[in-house]
Amino acid sequence: METTKLPPSSPSSPTTSFSVPSAEKVDGFPRRSMRRARQRRSHSSSQFRYQSSQVELTPLPLLKDAPVAELHDLFCKKLQQCCVLFDFLDCVADLKGKEIKRAALNELVESVATSRGVLIEPLYPEAIKMISVNIFRTLPPSENPEFDPEEDEPTLEASWPHLQLVYEFFLRFLESPDFQPSMAKRYVDQKFVLQLLELFDSEDPREREYLKTILHRVYGKLLGLRAYIRKQINNIFLRFIYETEHFNGVAELLEILGSIINGFALPLKSEHKQFLVRVLIPLHTAKSLSIFHAQLAYCVVQFMEKDATVTEYIIRGLLKYWPKTCTQKEVMFLGEIEEILDVIEPSQFIRIQEPLFKQIAACISSPHFQVAERALYFWNNEYILSLIEENCQVILPLVFATLYRVSKEHWNQTIVSLIYNVLKTFMEMNSKLFDDLTASYKVEKQKEMKRERERAELWRGLEEYQERRMQMLTEAARNQRNLQERGERGDTLTPSSPQTAHSDQPEPKPSGASSGAGESAT
Amino acid sequence: KQNLVYLHIDMDAFKLMKELRVNYDQEVHYLPKVTGLVFIESTVRISAKCRDAKVEDLWSLTSFFGYSTQTFVLAVNLLDRFLAMMRIQPKHLSCVSLSCLHMAAKVTEEECNLTPTDELIRIGQCRFTVSDLARMEKIVTEKLNFKSKAVTALTFLHLYHEIALSKETLSLEKLEAQLKACLCRIAFSKAKPSVLALALLRQEIEALQWEDMLEVAYYIQAHLKIANVELMLWSERVAQCLSDYASPECSKPNHRRLQWIVSRRTAQNLHSYRSVPELPTIPEGCWDESESEDSCEDMMSSGEESLSSSLGSDAEGSFFPPHLRRQKQRQYLFA
Repeated sequence: METTKLPPSSPSSPTTSFSVPSAEKVDGFPRRSMRRARQRRSHSSSQFRYQSSQVELTPLPLLKDAPVAELHDLFCKKLQQCCVLFDFLDCVADLKGKEIKRAALNELVESVATSRGVLIEPLYPEAIKMISVNIFRTLPPSENPEFDPEEDEPTLEASWPHLQLVYEFFLRFLESPDFQPSMAKRYVDQKFVLQLLELFDSEDPREREYLKTILHRVYGKLLGLRAYIRKQINNIFLRFIYETEHFNGVAELLEILGSIINGFALPLKSEHKQFLVRVLIPLHTAKSLSIFHAQLAYCVVQFMEKDATVTEYIIRGLLKYWPKTCTQKEVMFLGEIEEILDVIEPSQFIRIQEPLFKQIAACISSPHFQVAERALYFWNNEYILSLIEENCQVILPLVFATLYRVSKEHWNQTIVSLIYNVLKTFMEMNSKLFDDLTASYKVEKQKEMKRERERAELWRGLEEYQERRMQMLTEAARNQRNLQERGERGDTLTPSSPQTAHSDQPEPKPSGASSGAGESAT
Repeated sequence: KQNLVYLHIDMDAFKLMKELRVNYDQEVHYLPKVTGLVFIESTVRISAKCRDAKVEDLWSLTSFFGYSTQTFVLAVNLLDRFLAMMRIQPKHLSCVSLSCLHMAAKVTEEECNLTPTDELIRIGQCRFTVSDLARMEKIVTEKLNFKSKAVTALTFLHLYHEIALSKETLSLEKLEAQLKACLCRIAFSKAKPSVLALALLRQEIEALQWEDMLEVAYYIQAHLKIANVELMLWSERVAQCLSDYASPECSKPNHRRLQWIVSRRTAQNLHSYRSVPELPTIPEGCWDESESEDSCEDMMSSGEESLSSSLGSDAEGSFFPPHLRRQKQRQYLFA
């Protein structure tokens, strides 16, 4: 790791941002393998807070060597020691102190994990204080304003060597058999939880992983905080969707929500249904959907499995937010639809089949081959096929014309093959319906061609008429000129040609004798 | 409207009748050997079911490539004639049927509408090559004595339709579709095309309840000297077949026969969501709903049941450690 003493955001540091050149993209999607080459600078995501007097740590005796009477006291002292923070931006600063703290943290972790009877009441506030001091900090703004979680390396937490142990300690603490929620709830309160949730925005995935597990345990054990946690997560998501579109921890929070949704009691409370409709569905509109789509889809499907009546909301919501210009998202949406259809109840299916298959037909005719493929692949799913079969009369007319047209027009051979499969499947389902639709499709096509022909005829007629008119006008003008010139010269001869007001025929040429010298002939 | 046929004795009618006669005389040359057909029906190797399935495939391909019904009917005729005279291995059936389709298309369709053989093979998901197909075509042509342009039931259907003189009401499209449905069953290949077509015509007339048209049917029957017994036999079978065809019930398609090939990118993303989540389920209790922190004191009796019955299965220890459960029980007793 390079060492620089520069604080993370200095005015001179340029923002290393460029967009992925199109050569590096395949099918319009940037290659995953492409990594930005940029200088790695040493960063910390926490500003080191200088403490007024830097406490010098002295190593304490080991916990495992301590006599039982002194154990708790020693434990407390070690906890207090660990409240001292160190500057990890500077690699060489205070190595001794860092090591003492690291060792102490390690011991504390071991102790909580293995021994029984360690967690007594007085330790709770000390432990929570130590944890709070270490983890609660303001996360700095991102080093890279165009951070793309799929492409870029995340900025890792510099003080991770200590932080990781603090998180580990917290987790073991929560999971210890001696853990008393009634005691902990005094210190792990709403304020604590709120700060915990804010940390989910950390760029360091390891930190988010710990936070996820920790919050999961907190939610499970501290019943009084559940409603508050749900409310705050709602807020985070709503802010994310409608205000900032930036939050790094959406996937982790969704994973926790997945396990909560899975445990919902029936009948489903209206609060939860509101959450589905007002938060989860609109979450699909986020630009960075690909990062958390798997977790989001899981949550959605869980809702359906709990209460089938939400199906209609879900599908109509997805159709409302269907991506219009982002094909990568369209493929994701199609994947989610397939998962939903996998668990849908037939009675619910009937309610949404029409708008759904209209959208599917639109996807089949998409020029992007991945979208068309994904939509056509639905017909390979046996359960979906059985649903289609039961409602063949409604569904086949919706997709029929599209299938036929695309089979003739699409550039991609794989798609054409898949369409054949789909058409053949329909044919086997109900051949009469298929034949009827084929016949009416042909009739429509004939009518269309006839209309086209008539239109072309009309235009041709108009053009011809225009041509003739032009001709007539030029003839008339010419004749007018002839007359004038003759008049000026005082020609006694009869005017050569009649006026051309009505004749379509080309004018008979004036007889050579009448035109005098050098008149320009027609 | 009565006796339309008798009143309109003009050149057209005469011509049609003559053409009818000629075709009737010709049709016998294009009949598949009955013994051969019977053999197929009774055997297991290239069974009737195989042949019927293959004919359905041919219809799918016909429809997909926009070939006419004429092509299809001709292809089936060639196929049946060939199968009735040659015993082939089941693995060659694809190749034979596709050759027949291609041969029929060459006879009927315009050159610009002919699908190239490699495309035929690709869409038909067949395993043989273009040269295999060409060779098979030669074999079939030779065996059938180069008689590719056959007189089929469709020929008669068209003639009957013209004779009937009521093109608006009697839909040729519909009759063709019905003929196609019949041809998908090998049994109907044993019928003489003229008889089969007439049976179809009668079915439709009876369905339309058009008494006058029946006269035409009788007239044709008399003209061609078709025995009543024969006609009745096939009419019955046709009726049965058509009632199956027209039934609104959808049948379950045979899914396994088709290959579903997608591009590598799509295949990669297909099953990305089927992962089991790592976090264990947190069961909801009815005491969650209160906003207050001391909600666990507001215990309701029903909470206890849901608590113990809905414990999630996780290996990391229960979320409701024993002492907590005991605590709640105590409070319940005091409430």
